Amino acid sequence: MCMAVPSKVVAVDGQMAIVEAFGQTRQTSLLMIDEEVKIGDYLVLGAGGNFAAEKVSEETALAAIEYLSQVLADGLA
Amino acid sequence: MFTEASLHVTLRVDGPSVRTVLVRSTRMVQAARLFAGKQPAEVLHLLPAVFSLCGTAQALTGLAAMEKAAAIAASPAQKSARRVLLLGETVAEHGLTIARDWPLLAGASPALDHAKRLRHALAGLRKALYPDGDWLHLGGGQLRPDSGQIHAIIAQCHATLTQLVGHDLDELVQPIAFQAWLRRESNPLLSLVTSRCWQAVGAGAAFLPMPELGPPDLSPRLQNDRDGVYLARPDCAGRVFETGPLAHWHWHPLLTDLTDRFGTGLLTRLAARLVLLAESLREMAEHAHDLRAEPAAPLPHLDGHGLALTEAARGLLAHRVVLKEGLVGEYQILAPTEWNFHPEGALVRMLTGAPADQDLELRARLLVHAMDPCVACTIAVE
Repeated sequence: MCMAVPSKVVAVDGQMAIVEAFGQTRQTSLLMIDEEVKIGDYLVLGAGGNFAAEKVSEETALAAIEYLSQVLADGLA
Repeated sequence: MFTEASLHVTLRVDGPSVRTVLVRSTRMVQAARLFAGKQPAEVLHLLPAVFSLCGTAQALTGLAAMEKAAAIAASPAQKSARRVLLLGETVAEHGLTIARDWPLLAGASPALDHAKRLRHALAGLRKALYPDGDWLHLGGGQLRPDSGQIHAIIAQCHATLTQLVGHDLDELVQPIAFQAWLRRESNPLLSLVTSRCWQAVGAGAAFLPMPELGPPDLSPRLQNDRDGVYLARPDCAGRVFETGPLAHWHWHPLLTDLTDRFGTGLLTRLAARLVLLAESLREMAEHAHDLRAEPAAPLPHLDGHGLALTEAARGLLAHRVVLKEGLVGEYQILAPTEWNFHPEGALVRMLTGAPADQDLELRARLLVHAMDPCVACTIAVE
């Protein structure tokens, strides 16, 4: 599946951000995001992770992370 | 650690050509099983959050499967509103690809301004239809369409895409206009393809388009797929169909013209994405006329089996659900990538026997792009 892990923004530098998910950090471009992005926000990244695709609410992000943690725990990932 | 799913294509060369094509997938095809035991509304809330590229299609297909299971018939206006949302996602996906990825594949700068304008225009679509945000309510949410805003969004998309390709999109998908456009350096990627005479790359392979209503044996195959083998490697009596823009629109005049000239190769496949864009915008405008305000539907008892199919941006998407006493009992998702990147699927057929020259990896990359996987894909030549 083209499942994406909502990633938490840990640093913002202009049009780039460092995001974290499941202990892994990576850099992504914010060029496709219209809204303001700040530390603590959650982003869904496009395939490959080069561009952030969407900003999601914390509630939605945490629900998705809980589900994906279960996928990982059940060995389905 | 959670690793993002991906595809890995290995081309094994023997002498002058590719002897074997191996496709390895780390896609989590059985992850939807974990929806079992959850409330239907909870699953519908999760679907657009965990699918990065086609969240609207995933959620709407899940909604349709649950409605079938519970014998709920959404009204024509609700169906039109959902169709507008689905087509909007298709326009976003393919429009962003043409603006961002096509130039990059040809070594040019991406048209990020166009990509951003398109995204910005479509971002308001859900709110213009369902201002309360309940577009995934079973039976239909509170539909209060803002017709002016919806038509403005469609017009903005049309104008942005026309500016991006340098030609009116509706006219461009006419065979004569398309040929003229190609001759005057249409687009960096298509210029690369024509200048290298790669229009027919991959055209020698068998073309097996997905039937309009999906594989005839889809329902029993899903129902009996206890170990997930069918979800990972679907087939229909041994045939592996392809799905996506060309499979769906292969009868379109531009695509039949290009198929006559170059077969179902690279150029025809790239052109199919332009056709899908033009047709999606046209259909969005048609559905926008059928919208009307409606209250949210009451929730009935949720029990039963449902299978729903959606022609999403990348092809046929299937969701099967079993609802038991108001909860999800079983859940399966079969996505287009499992057909197109099947170990015996269209990509493998197109690359097997390909000339093993210095451009093999680039041609393979363009074919992978044309088949449009929904996850990252690496290519290795051995």
